[in-house]
Amino acid sequence: MKIAVLIKQVPDPNALRFDPRLGDLVPGIQPVANEYDLYALEAALRLREQTGGEVVVASAGPARDALNRGLAMGADRAVAIEGEGLPGDSWVTATVLTAWLRREQPDVIWCGQETSDSGTGNVGPTVAARLDIPLVSNVVGWEFRDGVFEIEREIEDGHQFQEVAPPVVLCALSALPQPRLPTLRGIMDARKKPVERLAPADLGLDPGSLTPLVRWEGLRQPAAKSAGIVLQDVPPDEAVEQLLAFLEACGLLG
Amino acid sequence: MAGNGVLVVIETSGGQPRPAALELCGAAQAVQEALGSATALVVGQGIGAATEQAARLGVARVLAVDAPEFAEPVAERVARAVLVAWEQLDPALVLLPGTTLGRDVAALVAARRGVPHLVDVVALGVTADELMVTRPVYQSKLLTTVRASRTRAAVVTVRAGSFRPPEPGEPVPIERLPVELQEPDRRVRVTRMVDKPRGQVDLESAPVVVVGGRGVGGPEGFEQLAELAELLGGALGCTRAVSDLGWRPHYEQIGQTGKQVRPKLYLGVGVSGAVQHTVGMQGSETVVVINRDSNAPLVKQADFAVIADWNEIVPRLIARLRERRGRSA
Repeated sequence: MKIAVLIKQVPDPNALRFDPRLGDLVPGIQPVANEYDLYALEAALRLREQTGGEVVVASAGPARDALNRGLAMGADRAVAIEGEGLPGDSWVTATVLTAWLRREQPDVIWCGQETSDSGTGNVGPTVAARLDIPLVSNVVGWEFRDGVFEIEREIEDGHQFQEVAPPVVLCALSALPQPRLPTLRGIMDARKKPVERLAPADLGLDPGSLTPLVRWEGLRQPAAKSAGIVLQDVPPDEAVEQLLAFLEACGLLG
Repeated sequence: MAGNGVLVVIETSGGQPRPAALELCGAAQAVQEALGSATALVVGQGIGAATEQAARLGVARVLAVDAPEFAEPVAERVARAVLVAWEQLDPALVLLPGTTLGRDVAALVAARRGVPHLVDVVALGVTADELMVTRPVYQSKLLTTVRASRTRAAVVTVRAGSFRPPEPGEPVPIERLPVELQEPDRRVRVTRMVDKPRGQVDLESAPVVVVGGRGVGGPEGFEQLAELAELLGGALGCTRAVSDLGWRPHYEQIGQTGKQVRPKLYLGVGVSGAVQHTVGMQGSETVVVINRDSNAPLVKQADFAVIADWNEIVPRLIARLRERRGRSA
């Protein structure tokens, strides 16, 4: 079975800092692999352990560290698609990845549910629609048996189970098994694995097809909420009376 | 300019409209002067009450897709219904709720039509040649403005709690929209649902929501929180950590992969306030927090925070509320 995993490199969400004067992130934040994408890769590796075949990690836009990590975790090869304007908006990213996926024809495409930067969650569904293959999002569990996936999804009403046969796009949430850590051996082996570098033109895409549909206009912080009342080191009985008075004043006690 | 009018997709669950979907009618009102009147598309099975509700929310038309194959939420099927309505209406804007289903459907429909999907927006504006939305990015830590040209139609998903549903008025007529599923729409098959709530106070529409987090320490503590919720006339919810630990059922979970609530009062007990949770409660009017850790992110969002062990506070609060109830009875 051929399994593709779509990976994006994002600014480390744990090191995120905003510069109000720039109206942008502080420059130089370490890029890391998007967390949900690593859960997708872990699922792909487990699927390969069951069915055999290969796992290919791919990225539209700069992602050298993330792809190397993917190879060190156990992916067989990596594809780095780079070019001006990539990753672009989710439409452009999906256009590039769709062109590559048409060439590769994988049986299963795993991706993260969304990224921690723009967080549109659009790329998986857009790729599925444009390849005209089924989409299953919010995946928290799966089994593959007799050529059919049974997928467990988390939705508002509970856990929904769906059956679907490949080819399929699966979007991973972090309730899936934790991504394995690369071993020293894995890191050494990764250096010998093939990394293919492509430009959009190599996939038959002309610059006109890479025009974003939307544009972002800077970043800003949400308006700070006026500081609320904080009771600290207040005896419990007193705290409860003050809380009741507050609820009463807000008209929340019926 | 592409298209005319706003298509509002009313998602249903068990025949009932999702509150986040009814709020879309408020969003449609905000832009109808620029884009034209709204049509509500209600999709599901046994949706009579939902269509009647939608018909009173300031829309010009209601289209109902009511059939067994829409009973379970499957994105490709609902997307087909939206595409059929699109063919009929040629809208300038399509609004969907920012639910798990709404976001999948929006992305699929936008991809099929070759138009943008603007995600999870909290504010919506229209200029002569652009659609302009505000949306949270970087896991809701920051905001940005996203612009899309009006030479194309656009699909927008709206974050719960960003708009109010309009006051119900005189109903408009309800028309049936026949939708034939195509073979590819049946590739995904729902086999079962687990954890489906039955008969509880509806968390999504409760005026008061009491939420327990990991800080509650175990399933036993939730019995007290349930009593507190009952005394306050509300429903009990939990965080993802709690449902993952099996202390409470998944359907009580509030947040990114759970329910979205915006009660008059949100009371969080032992909830630290991870972004994955707070996206599900941001529309709450008043936020009260009981937590031992004064550095918990939710304390910063709170209108009223008690920094203490909940075991010291909740039993006293319950006792005082019981007294009050006794007096008024």
